[in-house]
Amino acid sequence: MVALVISLALFFDFTNGFHDTANAMATPIATGAIKPKTAVALAAVLNLLGAFLSTEVAKTVSGGIIKEGSDGIQITPEIIFAGLMGAILWNMITWLKGLPSSSSHALFGGLIGAAIAGIGIHSINFESLLQKVILPAVFAPIIAGGVAYLCTKLAYTLTSRHDPESGSKLTQKRGGFRTGQIFTSSLVALAHGTNDAQKTMGIITLVLISAGLQQPGSGPQVWVITTCALAIAIGTYSGGWRIIRTMGSGLTDVKPAQGFAAESSTASAILASSHLGFALSTTQVASGSVIGSGMGRRGTTVQWGTAGKIALGWLFTLPAAGIVGALTALLVKTGVVGVIIAAVAGTAAVTYMFLHSKKSRVGHHNAVEVEEAGQAVQFRRKRKTVAASRAKDEAISGIKDEQVVSDFKHEQVVSDFKHEQVVSDFKHEQAVSGIKGEQKDGLS
Amino acid sequence: MKWLELVQVAGATLIAAVTVVVLYSLGVRLTAIAGDVSERKPVWVRPLAVVCFALCGLAVMFGLYLIIPYFGK
Repeated sequence: MVALVISLALFFDFTNGFHDTANAMATPIATGAIKPKTAVALAAVLNLLGAFLSTEVAKTVSGGIIKEGSDGIQITPEIIFAGLMGAILWNMITWLKGLPSSSSHALFGGLIGAAIAGIGIHSINFESLLQKVILPAVFAPIIAGGVAYLCTKLAYTLTSRHDPESGSKLTQKRGGFRTGQIFTSSLVALAHGTNDAQKTMGIITLVLISAGLQQPGSGPQVWVITTCALAIAIGTYSGGWRIIRTMGSGLTDVKPAQGFAAESSTASAILASSHLGFALSTTQVASGSVIGSGMGRRGTTVQWGTAGKIALGWLFTLPAAGIVGALTALLVKTGVVGVIIAAVAGTAAVTYMFLHSKKSRVGHHNAVEVEEAGQAVQFRRKRKTVAASRAKDEAISGIKDEQVVSDFKHEQVVSDFKHEQVVSDFKHEQAVSGIKGEQKDGLS
Repeated sequence: MKWLELVQVAGATLIAAVTVVVLYSLGVRLTAIAGDVSERKPVWVRPLAVVCFALCGLAVMFGLYLIIPYFGK
């Protein structure tokens, strides 16, 4: 049972990784600051590093939401198993839908549901639940969004250039922000590692303690830290392209300066919160930042429909994961057969979703449509320019990796259509000569 | 309720993000000026841009220094 729970926990860590790649890397990919594959590799390495940097969060993981200890309820590996099941299934579903939802909420939801079904409603500390989960969920996007809004405004005000005599607009030259994005998004990835890998470490430690294999009150063991760090890094590298698509281009059209501002706010918020003890969800902070930065630049529209869908996903995360967790807990209660049924059903569901996802594949080649599609077109029309050679690399890698499914063809149609627009626009020349930031102006 | 901690987190987020963004934006702006084709641009523009970027990097490093428990002892 302990081994089963640990492997399930590691799998949760993996889903957490690929679910949350988007938080760090969606905006730099959308603005073309980093190539998609490089971006996820970078994020993976930094997640790995981050997981080793600090294990503060791991020590307080379930954090008193479920009453533990001598006067409370003994939490068993079975409950944790059921909770993890709920968390993993919800993570898979939201990934399939491309919704950036909080992995930590899924985990909490699953554990709470499992505890209610397995032990009883009295096992939940509702005050702690309100304080640690509900309130942060409300404030995380607000804080991050507000700060990102302000930062975007600042960034644009400070770099907007006008001719002192004629008052006309000069070339804005904001390319520097694209380079800056590499650093800020790295910070976000690092913050994610220090934050989210810890939760799994905490869970595994909890299991080991409850099974009597480790002293109560001691921190995570070295092998636990290592395997968790690896699991989240591998998950990150496999990339949650569906969510990257939502975050990178579904919410708002991201420009380098906006991306820079959004990532700075995300990184600050996550690091500040995990350091000061008011835990905020990485995903909610990142989504809030992207929306905030979208509101901060004049002439940008925020897709409130998508934002609403994401918010709805957040609302459902806790109860949905909770219900799955509760059902699993009921199954597990029946004994060994129940555990086996639960494990098989869970595996089957995950496999089904994975196979289903193959039907409409979202990969690094089409995660963010505008940028990639635009570059693919440039490659065909204008070979000689620098931009074209860059596009060539990406187009080739895109085609190689993909056995041209209908999805990709659709992209080409769209991009061809968009290309016509671009051609009729003088900005095409700019785009081809390598000013990628301007390229999106031409398209939108 | 942990309102104080909430305010702390919000404040720290605001200060950190604004510091980084302002310094970096100034750096970007000064680099842009330094790159202009114009006779009357002062000599100190490019070094100042570099200073801005460096300060920005320092601010980030300081933030990390505060956070990583290894240094905090």
